[in-house]
Amino acid sequence: MLTAENLRKSYAGVEALRGVSFEVRPGEVVGLVGENGAGKSTLMRLLAGTQRPSGGRILRDGQPVSLASPRDANAMGIAMVFQEQSLILNLSVAENLFLGQDGEFVRHGLIDRRALRRAALHQLAKVGLDIDPDRRAGELSFAQRQMVELAKALALEDRVDRDLVILLDEPTSVLEQAEIDLLFSRVRDLQSRASFVFVSHRLDEVLAISDRVYVMRDGAVVAEAPASAVTPADLHQMMVGRGVRTEYYLESRQEPPRSDVALAVRGLGQQGAFRDVSFDLHRGEVLGLAGVIGSGREALIRVLFGFERPDAGGMEVEGQAYAPRSPADAVARGLGFVPSERRTEGLVMTLSLGANITLARIREAMTPWGLSRSKEQALARDWISRLGIRTPSADTPCRNLSGGNQQKVVLAKWRTAGSRVLILDHPTRGVDVGAKEEVFRLIRDLCDEGVAILLVADTLEETIGLSHRVLVMRDGAISAELPAPAGGKPEQVRIVEHMV
Amino acid sequence: MTTTAGKGRASARLWTSVPWRALAPVVVLAALCIALGLAADNFATAGNFARIATSAAVPAVLATGVTLVILMGGIDLSVEGAMAVAAVVAALVLVAAPGALGAVAAAFAALAAGAALGAVSGAIHVGLRAPSFMVTLGTWFIGLGLAVWLVGGGTVSVRDSELRVLALVRLGGLPLSVWVALGTVLIAWVLQSRTRLGRALFAVGGGEDLAAQSGVPVGRVKVAAFALAGLCYGLGAVLAVAQLGQGNAEIGTGRLFAAVSAAVVGGTSLLGGHGGVLHSLVGVLVVVVLSNGMILLGVPPYLQQAVQGLLIIIAVAVSLDRRGQGLVK
Amino acid sequence: MTLWRQVPGGLIRRRTLLQGMAGLAAVGAMGRPARAQDMPTLVNSIRSLSNPYHATWNQGGEAFAAAIGAPYVTLVTEGDSEKGIADIRAILQKTGGNAVINVDPNDAPDARPIVEACVQAGAHVLTQWNKPADLHPWDFNPNYVSHVSFDGVEYGGRTAQVLIDAIGGSGGIVALGGILSNTAAIDRRTGLEATLAANPNVELLDFQVADWQSGKAFDTTSAWLTRFGPDIKGIWAANDDMAIGALEALRAEGLQGQIPITGIDGIQTAVEAVRAGEMTATVFWDPFWQGAMGLSIPYHARTGTFDPAAEPPEHREFYGSATVVTTENAESFYAEHIAATPQLDFEDLWGRVSGQIRQS
Repeated sequence: MLTAENLRKSYAGVEALRGVSFEVRPGEVVGLVGENGAGKSTLMRLLAGTQRPSGGRILRDGQPVSLASPRDANAMGIAMVFQEQSLILNLSVAENLFLGQDGEFVRHGLIDRRALRRAALHQLAKVGLDIDPDRRAGELSFAQRQMVELAKALALEDRVDRDLVILLDEPTSVLEQAEIDLLFSRVRDLQSRASFVFVSHRLDEVLAISDRVYVMRDGAVVAEAPASAVTPADLHQMMVGRGVRTEYYLESRQEPPRSDVALAVRGLGQQGAFRDVSFDLHRGEVLGLAGVIGSGREALIRVLFGFERPDAGGMEVEGQAYAPRSPADAVARGLGFVPSERRTEGLVMTLSLGANITLARIREAMTPWGLSRSKEQALARDWISRLGIRTPSADTPCRNLSGGNQQKVVLAKWRTAGSRVLILDHPTRGVDVGAKEEVFRLIRDLCDEGVAILLVADTLEETIGLSHRVLVMRDGAISAELPAPAGGKPEQVRIVEHMV
Repeated sequence: MTTTAGKGRASARLWTSVPWRALAPVVVLAALCIALGLAADNFATAGNFARIATSAAVPAVLATGVTLVILMGGIDLSVEGAMAVAAVVAALVLVAAPGALGAVAAAFAALAAGAALGAVSGAIHVGLRAPSFMVTLGTWFIGLGLAVWLVGGGTVSVRDSELRVLALVRLGGLPLSVWVALGTVLIAWVLQSRTRLGRALFAVGGGEDLAAQSGVPVGRVKVAAFALAGLCYGLGAVLAVAQLGQGNAEIGTGRLFAAVSAAVVGGTSLLGGHGGVLHSLVGVLVVVVLSNGMILLGVPPYLQQAVQGLLIIIAVAVSLDRRGQGLVK
Repeated sequence: MTLWRQVPGGLIRRRTLLQGMAGLAAVGAMGRPARAQDMPTLVNSIRSLSNPYHATWNQGGEAFAAAIGAPYVTLVTEGDSEKGIADIRAILQKTGGNAVINVDPNDAPDARPIVEACVQAGAHVLTQWNKPADLHPWDFNPNYVSHVSFDGVEYGGRTAQVLIDAIGGSGGIVALGGILSNTAAIDRRTGLEATLAANPNVELLDFQVADWQSGKAFDTTSAWLTRFGPDIKGIWAANDDMAIGALEALRAEGLQGQIPITGIDGIQTAVEAVRAGEMTATVFWDPFWQGAMGLSIPYHARTGTFDPAAEPPEHREFYGSATVVTTENAESFYAEHIAATPQLDFEDLWGRVSGQIRQS
C-alpha cells in the first residue's frame, strides 16, 4: 500500500501540486489522467524520489517515508518507468538491468559476467522478452527498451521485502498498437506481483487497463472513480472542468476563411510515414490536424516545412509550385514554423526579450551612429504591450519568461516577419492556462490578418475549438475531413472514431 | 519526428553492427605497418619494433589515464602538469635517497603526487560542478607551477639512480618500462570491463543523470576516475624520468596532445561511453608507428606535423559519426 | 599577450612622468663628488632565484657588489613582465636614480620601458639577451650603456666543429633542431650548416625537429638508429635537453659514449655527461660573468672610468664569449665554475667582447 497525503510541490513560487491525496493498493492498476500541466508528472516524480515534496507526506504501508532519491524509492519498492526512457544506450541490457546494483555480482573485486547474464535472463523472462542480455540497449526498439525498463523495475522484487509499486509514465506514447497490447497483457500478468500506476493521455487506454482512475486538474485530484463506472467522455469532462467552452477558444472571433488558397497539397506522400495527402489551406483559416502519434501528422508537417522531402505528390504556395529543400526555403516562401521545442528552436534564450523581438527587425533600431538603445527599447516596449507579454522589463532574458510568454514572443517574431502560412506544432505545450488564452487570441489576430494556419494541437478539444476545419489522419492517410465552423463544432467522439 | 528518429536508429543499428567499424583502428594500424614494411627496409625488424615499443611506453600509460576520464564524457587536460610535478617529486626523492629503496620510494611518491593532483581535479569538478575542461586546465598549471617552484625551472639529474633499471634493463628484448606499460593497460582494461567502477564509467559516459537515477554514485566515480588518471600520469612520469635520466618541469611538454589524440585515433569517443583503454593502446601505436615511419622515410619535419594533424582530423571526423548517433538517442 | 600588455601601458606613461621628475632631482644631487655613502645601488633583475642559471647569475652580482662595497639588490620577475618593470621603477624611485641596473628582460618588449625609466631617472643600465631590434644603447647616451647577447650562429657552428673533429672529420651525422620558427633554433642551425659547408667530408644524414624536448629527441634518435644504424657517427643537438634525450636513446641500446653528441646551454646534466665522456661538448654561457660584469660595465660608466658615448659600437651591443665545454676542459671547467666560486677580473670590461651584434 502506497499512500500520498496532502502532497504539495511548488516550483519557484508556482504551485504545481496543491494538496494531493492518492492511494495505490496491492495488486491494483491505478490510472492517472489530466490535461497537460495538471500535475501528473510532478506527482510521479515525488513518488519516484527524483524530486522532494514541498509539503505533505508519503506513506508506505502506513509508515511515513522520506524519498530523497530514486534509490530510496527503490528501497521502498517503488520504481518508475520513465517517459523519457532511462536506459543507458551504450551499456548492454544486462548492465542496464543491474546498474547501480551490480555489487551482488562482484567476486574477488571483479564482476562475474556469467552470473550477471543469468540474472538478466531471469528478469527478462518475467516480462516475456526474448533478447540477448549482452546486446546494447541502443540496438533495441523503443518497445523492447520499455520492456527492459519494466524488467528492471520488477527486479526490485528480489531485493525488497514488500509489494512493488511500478509507476508507468506515458508508457504508450512511443509504442505501436501491437506493442501496447503486449505491454497491457504483461501488466495484467504481473498484477499479482506488483501494483501499477498508469499515466496516459489516452483515456480509452487508461480505462481499459486500470481498476481505478484518478483525475487531476490544476494541481489537485478532482475525481476518483472505479474504471468500470466511467466513460472517456466523463473523464474528459472532469479533466477539463467545464462544459462547452466556446468562448475559451474565442469562437465568436472565428470568421469564415477567405477564398484564396495559401497552401495547396496534392497527393503528397513519404515512404513509411504518410501517403496521398491532399488539402487546401485558405488565407485566414485554421486547419486542425488530428491523429494519434504515428498517424503521420508529425512527418507531414516536417515535409511541409522542408525538414524532409516527400516521395510523391506536390505542393503549391499561393499558386506557385513549392518544393522546399530546407526550412530556409520554406521561410523564403512565406512559411513560418512554431516548434514545440521552443527552447532550442524558437528563441535565443540567453538574449533579452527586447533583443529577441528586435532580432529580425534590427534595422528599425539602427541610426547612422549604430544601434540606438532607446530605439530598441521603444520598439520592444511597443511589442510587449501589443502582445500583452507579462515581463518585468524588456531586458529580462527570455529563459526567465513563462512558457506562455515565450510562445507569444515566438508568434510575434513570425508575425512581424510577415509569414503568410504558419505551422503551429503544439503551440500551447507547457503553457499555463492564462497564457493559453493569450496564444489563442494571437491565433485569431493572425487569422484576421489573413494568415493561414496549420495547427497540430495538444488536445482534441483545442483542435476543434480553434479550427475552421479538422483533418483527421490515421495510419498515414487522411481518414476524414470535418468542418468546424463557429457555432457548429463537431463532437470529439466523431473525430476520435476516425482516429482509431 | 518519430519516423526520423526511427530511421536514424535503424541506421545506427546497422552502423554499430558492422564489426569492421569497431576494428577500424586496428585495420589502420595493420595497414600502416604493412605499408611501412614495404616502403622502408628496416621498419619490420626486431630492433625497430623494440624501439617503437619503447617510444610507446610513456604515451600508452598516459593515454590509458586520459581514456578513463574521456569514457565518462569528461576531458583531462592536466596530463602535462601532473607529469611535471610527479617527475620532479620523483627526481628529488631519488637525489635525497639513493639506492634501490630510494628508487621505490621515488616511484611511489610520484604515483601519489599524480593521484593527488587527479583527485583534486575530480573533487573540484564534482564539488563545484565545474566543467572538467576548466578544472583540469587549472590543475595543469597548478602542477606545472608546483614543479617549477620545487626545482626552480632547473633540471635534476638522476643519471645513475636505481630507478633507471626500468629503462635500461631488458626482459625479452624489451625494456621493463614497456612491460610496466603493458601491465598498466591490462589492469586498466580489467578495471574498465570487469569491475563496478568500470561499468559506472560507461554508465556516466552514456547518461550521467540516468546513472545517478539508477543509484550509481556519480560523484565518487568521477573523483576515482580522475585520481586513477592522475596515477597513470604519475606512472608515465616515473617511466619518463627512468628513460631520460632527469626530472624537470618540461618533461610532460607536448604529451597531452599525444595522449588525447591517441585516444581519439583509437576510437574512444570524446562524448563518452564508447571506446576504452585497448582502443587507446591501438591509437598510441598508430601515432608512434606513424612518427617512427616518417623518420625512416625521411619525411621533412614540417610535413610530419601536417600528417599528424591530418590523422587527428580524420579520427575526429570518424568520431563525429558517433556524435550523430548520440543525437538520435 | 600584446593586448594585455598594452592596456597597463597607459598607466605606466603617467608614472614615468612622475619618475622623470624624481630623476631631475637626482641629477641635481649628482653634482657633488662621489663618496662612499653615495655609492650607487647595484641591481640585478632576473627571472627567478630558484633556477640554477639565474641563481649563479645572482652570485656573480653579489661577488661584484662585495668587491666594491656597494649596496646590492636582486629583483625577480617570476616570469611576469609587469612585475619586472614595476620593481625596477620602484628601485629607481627609492634610490633617486642612483643605481646601476643589469637586467635580463622577461620579454624583448620589456626592455624599452625599462631603459626609458632608467634614462629618465638618471641611472645606468645594461640589458642582456632580450631587446627590441630597434632599441640601441647609442640612442640613449650615456645611461643605456650596453646590450650583451650570445651568438647562436657562432656556437651552433663551434659545437658542430667539435663534433666533426670528434668523428675524425668525415662520416655521417644527424641533427636535432629546436622549434621550427624559434630565433635561437634558426641561429644555431645556421651555424651548424655553415660548419658543414666547410667540411665537405661530413654528411648531414637527417635534420629533425624535436621542439627543444628530451622526450621527442629520444624517440627521434631511436628511429634514426633503425634508419641509419652504424652510419650515424655523431649527433648534434641545438640544446642540451635534446642532447640528453639522444644520449638516453643511445644508452637504452647500450651505445652511450660510442657516438659523440653535442648540445648547447651548459645545463648541469649535460656538463656531467661531458665529464663522464658520454657527451662531447656543450656551450656554457657563464651566468656568473653575466651577473657580475653586467653590473661592472655600467658601474664603470657611471663612475667615469669610460664615457659610453665615446665607446665603439662593438662595446655597446656585443656578443659575449661563452665557453665551449669539451671532454678536454670538462674537469677544469667543473672545478672552476661548478665546484668552486668562479674568479673574475671585474676591471676587464671588454675582455669577452667577441664582436658587434648583427643588425637584422
